[in-house]
Amino acid sequence: MTVAIRATDLVKSYSQGVRALDGVTLEVNRGEVLVVMGPSGSGKSTLIRTFNGLESLDGGALDVLGVRLDATHAERQVREIRKRVGMVFQQFNLFPHLSILDNITLAPIKVQQRAKAAAEQRAMDLLDQMGIREQAHKYPAQLSGGQQQRVAIARALALDPEVMLFDEPTSALDPERVKEVLDAMRQLAKGGMTMVVVTHELGFAREVADRVMFMDRGQVVETSDPETFFSNAREERSRRFLNQMQH
Amino acid sequence: MRQRRLLVQVGVAALLIGLLALLVNNLAVNLIRTGLGLGFGWLGRPAGFALAETALPYAPSDSYLWALTIGWLNSLKVIAAGLVLATGLGVAAGAARSSNNRLLRSLAAGYVALIRQVPLLLQLLFWYFVAFLGLPSVPIGGLIRLSNQGIQLLGLNLSVEFCAVLVGLTVFTGASIAEIVRGGINAVPRGQWEAFRSLGLGEGLGLRRIVLPQALPAILPALTSQYLNLAKNSTLAIAVGYADLYAVSDTTITQTGRAIEGFLLLLLSFLLLNLLISGGMAAFNRAVLGRLNRSR
Amino acid sequence: MNRWLDRGITLLLLALLGWAGWSILHWLLVGADWSVVTTNLPLYAVGSFPADQRWRPLLWMAALITLTLLTLTGPKRGWVRRWLPLVWIAMAPLGLWLLAGGLGLLPVGTRSWGGLTLTLLLTGGSGALALPLGILLALGRRSELPVLRWSSAAYIELMRAVPLIAVLFFGQLLIPLFLPPGLEINRVLRAVVAFALFAAAYIAEDVRGGLQAIPPTQREAAAVLGLSPRQVLQLVVLPQALRVALPSLTNQAVGLLQNTSLMAILGLVELLGISRSLLANPAFIGRYLEVYLWLAAVYWLACSAMALLARHLEVQLDPARSAS
Ligand SMILES: Nc1ncnc2c1ncn2[C@@H]1O[C@H](COP(=O)(O)OP(=O)(O)OP(=O)(O)O)[C@@H](O)[C@H]1O
Ligand SMILES: [Mg+2]
Repeated sequence: MTVAIRATDLVKSYSQGVRALDGVTLEVNRGEVLVVMGPSGSGKSTLIRTFNGLESLDGGALDVLGVRLDATHAERQVREIRKRVGMVFQQFNLFPHLSILDNITLAPIKVQQRAKAAAEQRAMDLLDQMGIREQAHKYPAQLSGGQQQRVAIARALALDPEVMLFDEPTSALDPERVKEVLDAMRQLAKGGMTMVVVTHELGFAREVADRVMFMDRGQVVETSDPETFFSNAREERSRRFLNQMQH
Repeated sequence: MRQRRLLVQVGVAALLIGLLALLVNNLAVNLIRTGLGLGFGWLGRPAGFALAETALPYAPSDSYLWALTIGWLNSLKVIAAGLVLATGLGVAAGAARSSNNRLLRSLAAGYVALIRQVPLLLQLLFWYFVAFLGLPSVPIGGLIRLSNQGIQLLGLNLSVEFCAVLVGLTVFTGASIAEIVRGGINAVPRGQWEAFRSLGLGEGLGLRRIVLPQALPAILPALTSQYLNLAKNSTLAIAVGYADLYAVSDTTITQTGRAIEGFLLLLLSFLLLNLLISGGMAAFNRAVLGRLNRSR
Repeated sequence: MNRWLDRGITLLLLALLGWAGWSILHWLLVGADWSVVTTNLPLYAVGSFPADQRWRPLLWMAALITLTLLTLTGPKRGWVRRWLPLVWIAMAPLGLWLLAGGLGLLPVGTRSWGGLTLTLLLTGGSGALALPLGILLALGRRSELPVLRWSSAAYIELMRAVPLIAVLFFGQLLIPLFLPPGLEINRVLRAVVAFALFAAAYIAEDVRGGLQAIPPTQREAAAVLGLSPRQVLQLVVLPQALRVALPSLTNQAVGLLQNTSLMAILGLVELLGISRSLLANPAFIGRYLEVYLWLAAVYWLACSAMALLARHLEVQLDPARSAS
């Protein structure tokens, strides 16, 4: 089994002196789904944003698909990684001035220099896969939150990434829209995609995750398989968190 | 990464300095060619031209510096009066746009729409050549006397040029201020209107005591920029022959050929003027917001 | 009580309006003499352009009017729509060629340019220069590089501190001083350059406002797709920022058109300038009101057309509307 992401002793502090990451070490294997959980402010977002260079590091080192990131990496390395790692945000972040189709084909055409027709063909296939083919010529503002988030997933997938990062992809959705997005992610996991998912969806974690990682105050508290984590967590802090989540 | 950034900065700086050097070099060559050189000694020489309107004693034998000072005072005079009148007109028209009277509302809207689509310069010419120079001589109640020689108001003697510039600036700026006031009033939640109406307060009182104070924080910054515009626009006075700072500078430069120095002086004067206006507005802003906060 | 006040105001306003209406009607019927307008229509339109070449500026203006009408009322889809933007962009060089001549047309010096044609050319020319310069200044002012940031900010603030007439005057006076001896640029070009340098500072602030309105998450979303910083700006940030800034840019454009009238003070015979020289003609002495009303109507029409076009563009660019 090969490693997709290896993080060693990551340290990140913000200007106000907050230690958002305080010595995080972890590995994500290819084809694996890692779910990251933890209370608000524990550093989950900061962690996965370092994986594609959205946050810089103050210490430690990352190996993402064989490319090294550390406190002094060059912009070139970050772009190399971004072409191979997709990301989905909590707030969708679609481009409001572009149609759904143009949102998805923008990067394939401009970054990977694919032909327009081929890129559009691929985009339509992805929309089909997400169950929203008929929305292709609308604009983001005309779609529901759940539809927008599925477009965002399709947009990330259009670059044929080797790893997908999700930062609370369902937290901004109405409860009845959550399922359609989780279903799309479930399908993706079944297809063997390497995924790192920050989420509070316990059901999804239990069913889809290969491993669950629990973070608090910038540190990894424990990493277990879902079975163990949900029924018999090792650490007191994890148990307390799970208790709060279930009530 | 950091090195590249530094390199880019040095490159930009070099480019700017190079451009500046080229311009200054050309300037020097041209100045030598015309035999003028740079300097401010000429400011002390007699101006030699008369000024129609002077706030302080002035004669053509006085220095250029004094003539420019008189111009500055004339500018200040028309700007200060314009600020006050334009504010009054603008607030009135802005309030009229949210009045209950349909006719009043559409008149105010028509005023704003018309004034903003016609160049200020054209409006100034209209006020001067048509409105004021066309005035018949009419005494109104002994205290005010209108004529195409000027306006006498309680012993105050206002020239036609001054009046034309003042009215032109007031009417033009008033339209912009009306828009700002309307925007500010509209930003106050409808519930506030309903609240004071349900308390039995009249429309006028409610507008003055409830709505306008709440609209002020949004209005004041935009008002400041309108005041600065009014000050800059006052330079169009030259078109009707009012001896403001710009008109005097223009004459001075034409006579002495001192374009660079003249430009620097004008720039300095305007920076000072802007500082005065925005400083005053900032103080006013603080005072008003302070009072609003305390009364909460 | 309140109703009586309301009625009182209405009555008073009606009386005022009636009086004003009566005076205007009286003047129109008895006092006005429109010959100063009617006999000089070609002058207002094209200035003192050689009579046998007048078709050139007239053709250009006819094209502009046709294009405006086509844009506002023409078909909403199809090839006409697709080609419109290009045709609009082509209007500036076309106008320049038709006026200046060359390439098979008789050359005509800028001294003979005038009237509404010159007004429109000054507006279009300086706008076309000022927009890119303004965008660059706005980007410079938001740059991470201090040198770039400071110099952009200094330029913008300095330009916004001085009155336009001063910039135009010194443009006429100083631009030749800063150029190498022997290099002459003509009055119209100098005016266009000075206008553009001035307007760019204001445009920069509007664009900066638009840039500030785009949330940083948009940059992030674009960057994680592997777009280069330049592509992020060009494909994602700027299109959105300009759309946000469009209403204030429209105001700038209308202001630019109105401000071309200042060139009359400096001796160009654009719309207002030609009118001033007409009023100095003994045959039309004292016909101020007729001329000013006529000019106000022309400016009003031109400004309104511009505002309508901009509004149209806003609607076209609004994704929620253009989608069916
Ligand atoms: N841009 C920033 N500037 C300063 N501090 C920040 C910034 N972003 C995050 N932080 C701080 O870093 C810590 C970790 O934040 P992070 O967003 O990674 O938490 P999180 O686990 O994703 O929380 P949530 O569940 O609320 O999204 C928090 O204390 C937060 O306040
Ligand atoms: Mg987070």
